[in-house]
Formats: sequence, C-alpha cells, structure tokens
Amino acid sequence: MTDLRNARMSRVQFFRMMGGLAVAAAATACSTRPDTAATTGGPSATTELKFVGVADQKAPMDSLLAAYQQAKPSVRINASFAPTDQVQTSVRTQLGAGNSPDLHVVYPGSGSAMSMTQIGQAGLLADLSAQPWTRTIPAGFKPAFQLDGKTYIYSAGSSVIGAIYNKKAFEKAKVAAPPTTWTEFLAVCDKLKKAGITPIALGAQTPWVTQLITYALVPSTVYAKDPTFDDKQSAGQATFAGSGWRQAMEMYLELQKRGFFNDKPNGTTFEQQISMVATGKAAMAIQVSAVLPDFRKAASAADDLSMFPVPGADDAASVWIPAGVVVGLGASAKGKNVEEAKAFIDFLGKQESINAWAKAIAAIPLTQDASSTIDPAVESFLPFTKDRAVPFMDQRWPNAEVQPVHFAVVQELLAGKATIDEALKKMDEAYQK
Amino acid sequence: MTPTTTATSRPAATRRPGRRRSFSITTPSWLFAAPALLVYALVVLYPAISGVFYAFTDWSGIGEDMSFVGLANFRTLLGDEQAMGSIGNTLLLTLAIVAVQNGIGLLLALGVHAKLRSRALLRVIFFAPVVVSPVMVAFLWKYIYNPDPSAGLNGLLGLDVNWLGDPSVALWSVAGMVVWQYAGYSMVIFLAGLEGVPKELHEAAMIDGAGTFQRFRYVTWPLLAPALTINMMLSTIGGLKLFDQIFATTNGGPGYATETLSTVLYKQAFVFGKFGYSTAIALVLALFVAAVSLVQVYYLRSREVTA
Repeated sequence: MTDLRNARMSRVQFFRMMGGLAVAAAATACSTRPDTAATTGGPSATTELKFVGVADQKAPMDSLLAAYQQAKPSVRINASFAPTDQVQTSVRTQLGAGNSPDLHVVYPGSGSAMSMTQIGQAGLLADLSAQPWTRTIPAGFKPAFQLDGKTYIYSAGSSVIGAIYNKKAFEKAKVAAPPTTWTEFLAVCDKLKKAGITPIALGAQTPWVTQLITYALVPSTVYAKDPTFDDKQSAGQATFAGSGWRQAMEMYLELQKRGFFNDKPNGTTFEQQISMVATGKAAMAIQVSAVLPDFRKAASAADDLSMFPVPGADDAASVWIPAGVVVGLGASAKGKNVEEAKAFIDFLGKQESINAWAKAIAAIPLTQDASSTIDPAVESFLPFTKDRAVPFMDQRWPNAEVQPVHFAVVQELLAGKATIDEALKKMDEAYQK
Repeated sequence: MTPTTTATSRPAATRRPGRRRSFSITTPSWLFAAPALLVYALVVLYPAISGVFYAFTDWSGIGEDMSFVGLANFRTLLGDEQAMGSIGNTLLLTLAIVAVQNGIGLLLALGVHAKLRSRALLRVIFFAPVVVSPVMVAFLWKYIYNPDPSAGLNGLLGLDVNWLGDPSVALWSVAGMVVWQYAGYSMVIFLAGLEGVPKELHEAAMIDGAGTFQRFRYVTWPLLAPALTINMMLSTIGGLKLFDQIFATTNGGPGYATETLSTVLYKQAFVFGKFGYSTAIALVLALFVAAVSLVQVYYLRSREVTA
C-alpha cells in the first residue's frame, strides 16, 4: 500500500490536481439552480414570487396560495414563515440589503420596525391604492392601512383582544355567564380560585403576551373617557402617566395581588399559557382572537373554548374593547416582479379571499357579504365594534420603542422590581424619542 | 564509510542561473491562502469596516435616507440608561462564566486525565454539548428551567425556583446554561495542556516527597498556564458577546434583567430600527472585547512557564 505521507509529487502534478479540483468545484457551483429567479416568457414559463410571512399567517396563506395557483398557474409563490422576532430580523435585513422578497409581512400602523409607516416612509412598499378593495377600508382603520393617503398594506380584517375562556372550567366553578363589569369579573375570578382553578393563565415570559391585559383594559380606562387621546398624546398634550393608563396598570396588578394569575407568570411562556387554558387547569387567558385556533388545537374539543370582552369598567355601557387590524402583507416596491406581487394582493382583496383569511384566524372580515362568516367565539364583541372599539394601542405610537418598553415594564411590575410611576415614566420617555 | 559532512542544502553557487527555488508541498506559498483571505475579506472585513462607517450615521437599516451625525451615536450611548445597565449585566455574566466554566473544565480535565477505564467515553459525553447549536441548548434549558416545582430542574432538586422569570435569578440561570454547554470545551483545552506535562517532573516531585495537591500546585498548575490563557481568553470573549442563549430564553427579560450589550445592539438594529446607533454600540463592544483580550493575554502570558 502506498504511504501517502511519503508520496512525492511534482509541481506540475500538484497544479494539475488543484486545477482539476477547481474546475470540478466551479462546475458544481454553476449547475446549482437559482431558487428564486423569475422566469417569464414562453408558453410554459412561470414567474416565481417569494413571500416571507409571520407564523400566524401560515394557515390562511396555505389555502389562498393553493387557490391562486389554480387561478393563475403561470405564477408560483414560494412562501416561508417564521415567528415574529425572526421574521422581523430577516425581512429587515433583506430590505436593508436591497434584496427584499416580492411579498412580505407588514404590521399595520406605525408602532413597529416592520410597520406600514416605517417601511412605507423608506419607499420600500408598493402603492396599492388603485386596487378596488382599498376603497372599502373603514374610516377608523385608515391610519393602520394608509400613509399620506396611499394604501401600502393588505389585511383581511380585525381581531379583538378579550378573555379566551374554557367553558368546562366555568361550569365546574358554577359561573353561569361571562362577566360584563369589572366587579363581576373580579367576582368570577374569585369563584374560579375557590373552585381550585387558576382564574387567569399569564405567559409573561413571552414578551408580546405581557401587553394584552393593559390593551384589554385601556380602551375602557382611557379611550371611553377621551376618544381623542391618541391625537392629544401625539400633540404632546397627554401622557401615559397622566392618563387612564395608570388605572389600567393598577387593575393589572390588582389581579396579581388577589392571586388570580398562575404562579410565576414571568417564568411562564405563551405555549404553557395555551396548555393551561386548553386543559382546564386555568379558566381564562387574556389574548388576541387571532390565536384562538392555537388554543382550540390544544383543547380536547374546539367547542370547549370561547371568548368574551374584558370589562374594564364598572358601568357596562362604558366598557370599550380593543379591535385592531390583523397583521398583513405588502408588495416590495423594489422587487423585480412588482406587478405580479400586486396582482396577488388584488386577489387577496376579493371578498371570498377576505372571508377565507378571516375564517382561518377567527378575525372579523374587513368587508362582509352574505357568504362572510364570523366565528361564534367573537360574536359577543360585535356590538362594540361600531362605536366602542379602538385600534391596538401600538398602531398609533410614533416609534418602535414604546412597545418593547411596555413589555419590559410589565415584567418588572409583575416581578415587583418597579412601581407604576416608574413604568409609565419609561413609556413616556420612549414615546417622546 | 563515515560521512564527513551532514550538509544537505546545495551551495548557492552550484544552482543554475534563473532556476527558481524548489517546490515543497509541505511549505506552500502564502498565495494558497489567497482564496480563503478573499472570502474572509468579503464576508468579515468588508461588513466590519462598513459597520464602522454606519456608526457615524443615523441610518434606520432600511431605505436610502442617511445622514452623517458625527459622534452623536456615541454620546447617546453614554446617556443610554438601558445600554449602560446592560454593560453591568454583561460583565457579571462574563465573570461568572469565566470563573465557573474554567473551574469545572479544569476539574473535568483532571478527572478524565486519570487512568479510568471509561475516560474516552466520559470525554465524549462532557464534550458533546459543545457541538450542539446554542439555540437548541437554550430551548432545551427552557424546559429544564420550568418554573413548576414538579417539573424540570425544580422537580429533580426539589426546589421551587423561578429560574428565568425572577429578575434576581435569571442572569445566573443563563450563566449556568452556558457553563453546562462550554465546560467541555474548556476541558478539552486543559486536557491538551495536561497531556503536555512531562511525567518525569511528576516522578521527580514524588521522589522529593510531594503529595497529590503539591504536585498539582507546583508542577501541573504552572505548566497549564498556556491552556489557562487560551481558556480565559475564549471564555471572556464568548461571555462578552453572548447573544443566542439569551435571545432564545429570556430575550433580555424579565424587564431588563438579562439584557447584555449584544441584545441591546440587536434590538436597536432590528426592533427599534436604529441601525446607525446599533453599529456604534457594536463598535464599542468590539473595541472593549479586543482591549480586555489583549490585557488578559499580556498578563497571563507573563506568568507562563515551559517544562
């Protein structure tokens, strides 16, 4: 057997060998098919569009992509989905590097780094204003969809924040009906606790979950008293510290003080929160209706779960609810296939697409016709949507810093490491940046 | 016949004019490194130098709007309560990781250096976590750190600790997770150092009447100095720029309890949309890591001895 270590090689042999390896490597590299190249023209040619969405969008997109494929076989859409943090990082990086996907997730309003306002201002979103569906956007939702009068985001409708509850747990504690005032809500929690059931599951280790209780209460403690609060805050005439935000934080902590949350909420994740309510170990979770399908999947029967508005006031007529535009998508203005990407959004804007999307995530459709369905679990919110509902608070915040500060201060409050004064001061400072 | 000369190189005068130096496959030219250097320059150096440029701008990370803002980002950093707080967390975390990881790594190395039957298997077991992705380790430890008294580490030890949810515990929980993963890495480096300690020195010390501890203190420990230098430097750098494990477990929380410079700069870039400010923090972090590493190497090298 040849001893390789002692083998001798001439310079010519060495370079021949290296040259051969280099040619082989180059040939291999050149034979790799580019994965997102658009190939249009010719009878069998297809245009490939790349879509990067957030995980919540997978269910509706899967069915709508299949429908679009049938309607327009010449266009193929490669879709990928990732959780919020990851998608924000990857899409922003692609946007910054100038190779953004043709279609990508966009958050309504202005309070996120991936929001319609921030990306639209950078000139990276295609104008969708000419599409017919944009003319039906309700006036109250326009700030979430539009920048300087132009529409840059598609969204299928709105979701609400309320209490997802386990009917069996309520029955076990002999709670006859969901509460309609704050006092009743506290009484129900007390009844559940006495029945050995955790009244409210809170997965505050997952940052975005921390905000939902304040979001559920603030419409009643702030906007019911002053519907123009956002405008005043924007003009510097109102602050978090000097508003009903303080009352909402006090109510949040009252729930903790009375022992209505699960043990160690800061160490509990969103997934654990789902499991607790789905299995009846906990009775409620204050959540956004878009995640109701996740709770249903974890429950033994989907009908075990329903929702009701969290009553943030003692007068039922003063209870307001948060109803925000659900996360949507936009077309890249800098992509190679802008028109094809816009055509897909136009397809999503058709009433049957809106209905299908809204149904998949238990949302209230943006526009409704005879074939529109509304999930029975959110029907109790419908009386509020006309004149006692406000968009999710962050959709009107001026920068992307306020929301993460809100997450952090709620965790600090729950851990007893901050006071409400300190928390609201930090939020005001972030708002003013 | 006994050779009268042992010279093997040909005298220069006998070389034919114009003939180049003979080629040796074992000492290749620096040119062979050119492809790798080119890739390194494109993938590492170019972005790093670009980062220095962006640190003096107000770029949001997207779009083309960008202005030169001089030292404004660095002045903001000095007044940034969150960033300054994260420096304290970063230093505490690094100190804990450096001390415990290297302590455990040394003990493991001494253990598997002994004449045990199962030492090869033990070495593999202790090193195994190193090859797992840090994010996978973080997800695994999220289950281990379950706050339920009957689950995970709490259930195993009969404790009731809110590992990742209590601000006064979370930082140390993260440190524990990192130590679990990388103690095996320190072990391997110490093990290499231990293999290099000559047996003769131990034999001589034994003849002089030295016990086990004295042999470790006066023979093994001084000769492990090079391994210690490498371990200290690597664990310090790793601790100062720790990101993945924090991002996947606490995301800097609860509140700001586990926020480090790396998580702050990530959030500034990708959550707050302040790419210019974020690169300024990254630049300060890089300079800080380089300075700490240089001082550390300089100090530790000065106490190294050779057998």
